Amino acid sequence: MTSKKGPRVQDELSRVVNALPGLVWSALPDGSIDFLNQRWCEFTGLGVGEASGTRWQSAIHPEDLPHLLDRWRSIVVSGAPGEVEARLRRFDGEYRWFLSRADPLRDESGAIVKWYGTNTDIDDRKRAEQELRRSEARKTAILDSALDCIVTIDHEGRITEFNPAAERTFGHRRDAVLGRHLADVIIPPSLRDMHRLGFARYLATGEARVLGRRLEMTAVRANGNEFPVELTISRIPIDGPPSFTGYLRDITERKQADEELRRSEAFLAEGQRLNLTGSFLWRPDTDEIVFSEQLYRIHEFQRGAPVTLELIAARIHPEDLALLSEKIAQARAATSGELNYEVRLRMSDGSVKYLRTIAHIARDRDGRQEIIGAVQDVTERRHAEETLNKLRSELAHMARVTSLGALTASIAHEVNQPLSGIVTNASTCLRMLSADPPNVAGAIETARRTIRDGNRASDVIARLRALFSKKEAATGPVDLNEATQEVIALSLSDLQRNRVVLRSELAADLPPVTGDRVQLQQVILNLLRNASDAMSGIEDRPRQLVVRTEQEEDGSVRLTVQDAGIGIDPQHLERVFDPFYTSKSSGMGMGLSVSRSIIENHHGRLWVAPNDGPGTAVSFSIPCAPEAATAGRPTPLQTSAPTDTQNEMRNP
Amino acid sequence: MKNNRSLVSVVDDDESIRESLPDLLREFGFAAQAFASAEEFLASDFVNQTRCLVLDVAMPGMTGPDLQRELTLRRQEIPIVFITAQRDETVRPRVIQAGAIDCLAKPFSDTALLAALNTALRVN
Repeated sequence: MTSKKGPRVQDELSRVVNALPGLVWSALPDGSIDFLNQRWCEFTGLGVGEASGTRWQSAIHPEDLPHLLDRWRSIVVSGAPGEVEARLRRFDGEYRWFLSRADPLRDESGAIVKWYGTNTDIDDRKRAEQELRRSEARKTAILDSALDCIVTIDHEGRITEFNPAAERTFGHRRDAVLGRHLADVIIPPSLRDMHRLGFARYLATGEARVLGRRLEMTAVRANGNEFPVELTISRIPIDGPPSFTGYLRDITERKQADEELRRSEAFLAEGQRLNLTGSFLWRPDTDEIVFSEQLYRIHEFQRGAPVTLELIAARIHPEDLALLSEKIAQARAATSGELNYEVRLRMSDGSVKYLRTIAHIARDRDGRQEIIGAVQDVTERRHAEETLNKLRSELAHMARVTSLGALTASIAHEVNQPLSGIVTNASTCLRMLSADPPNVAGAIETARRTIRDGNRASDVIARLRALFSKKEAATGPVDLNEATQEVIALSLSDLQRNRVVLRSELAADLPPVTGDRVQLQQVILNLLRNASDAMSGIEDRPRQLVVRTEQEEDGSVRLTVQDAGIGIDPQHLERVFDPFYTSKSSGMGMGLSVSRSIIENHHGRLWVAPNDGPGTAVSFSIPCAPEAATAGRPTPLQTSAPTDTQNEMRNP
Repeated sequence: MKNNRSLVSVVDDDESIRESLPDLLREFGFAAQAFASAEEFLASDFVNQTRCLVLDVAMPGMTGPDLQRELTLRRQEIPIVFITAQRDETVRPRVIQAGAIDCLAKPFSDTALLAALNTALRVN
């Protein structure tokens, strides 16, 4: 169709072309646009005048324009029909993809007289393609970077995807496994049949035993090595025959770590079992308590039963409940430090276990207080110690009796010699006087000798006393608190064995007293022993022992040992200082009278007073002024027969 | 007394015994000599004349039982009355076993001593 056909035909054609719903255009053989239909102009919002020539290019997306022009030029040069895709701007500014197709119109000689073109809107298809590409790219990125092996299979079990992690893990190249049966590639020969059966069952019945669950199975590498994997399989949610994605993870290392952990736990449990030591964790804020297996065994608790403080308390020996409560309170109040104590358990068969606990008070990462400790069953050790202690005290008693026997023999020998002389002289004297005639001169001589021997006996006694007081008192300043603490340290295991709860209330800034440190410590030791002994039969209340030091108004220092024991019958209060008075079935009963002698040699006083409640308090006070102690050195101890003053009570 | 002038020798390291005992022995009617040690007695001229020995058990140097053994070895069979200030229960049976008349604990009564001496002299 050329302009030669006349304007009427041209107009007719233009009307037809303009009425077409598509975008239509024409160009001269050189490629310049000479016509754009009405729909083109409506779409782009450009008038025919604004678009003809090369001005239509303003409606093309700048990014697409160079390619479009290139392509258009080569179509024009080639003279063959051609297509190009480009975005065209709509009147509202939005670009849409179009496929432009150009066809040449030739005259009889074959020369191109015109190009006719159509633009087809392909935007929806284009977007879908882009979306698909993006999604493909995302998928590839995910598959490539995933640490887990990702394998997809189709409904026949053939591999359709095999990501790089799978390549690394299994040692197969993706290209080599695509299209092969999954079972043949990653499942050990021995398990392949099972896998096939399961897969066939699923396809036949839709019964999925494995979908969406975490599984562990054995897989095989290209080199034939088998290894444990963790696996989840999901069905890909698309229409058509089912296909599946499997996520696999090599868990060889985790398995090894699990095994290591299990083994080290087994070692620990065995170690705990062997040395009878259990361990625990206690969080005071929630009272959550975790026991080790061995600790369950020691307590004879049902394994795995929840452990509570109440459950533990029910096992503790009633006499040790106070101690345990004290330790629990101490632990709750502390933010750090150590606990170290011993309690007994009373088992259901009535037997008793001794448990030594050492615990560490600390805070966990969240700042919560936690107490971690070890508990050792020291029952056998305690029994051995008890036997040893019994032997030791028997030995001590024997030594005491033996030395007392030797002392008695020595005293007897020394005294019997002059006594013998006295008796013999007196006998002779009587015989001389009763003779006829009486031998008065001889009688006088023997009487004189009798007197002399009497004096000699008295000298012997004096010499003995001097002998036994040969140890010169070592007098010096004594810190009574320090001396007391030393004695407490020495007595602690004794006290704990007797289940005595000791509280010391030692006054700060106590002035030193002057005296013999060792003698004073003997007194304190004696008072502690007496107090402990006095409570040995007490079962219905804590065996509370208080040691207190304080400064008195007159400048002396007072020490008091207070027990919660059986107390002293008021009728016997004045007799407790009698050297041979004792309320105990064992022991010499010498303690208090000796203690009192020592204190009096320090110019002090020692007295006994009943408590308001149960028990007794024994106190002594010693002047701390230096002139009081230097006025007279402590004199030798008076261990001989008591005098009247020693029986006198000196209550304050 | 029949046993007039029989010599009783006293061996004791304790001076009050050596002073008092000879006087009592003389009151009993014996002759008496006192020695401060076993060695002194053995060295004296009175061993052969002694009819009875009053002998202390514990003495420095030669003890009473030592002297008893020595006299047995010398075949000097003098009856011995031991005296002792010790309360050692094992001494008495040992010396009696070895031939002593008695073993008196100091202080002893005059009658106990006289009874022992009479027994000793009867044996003699």
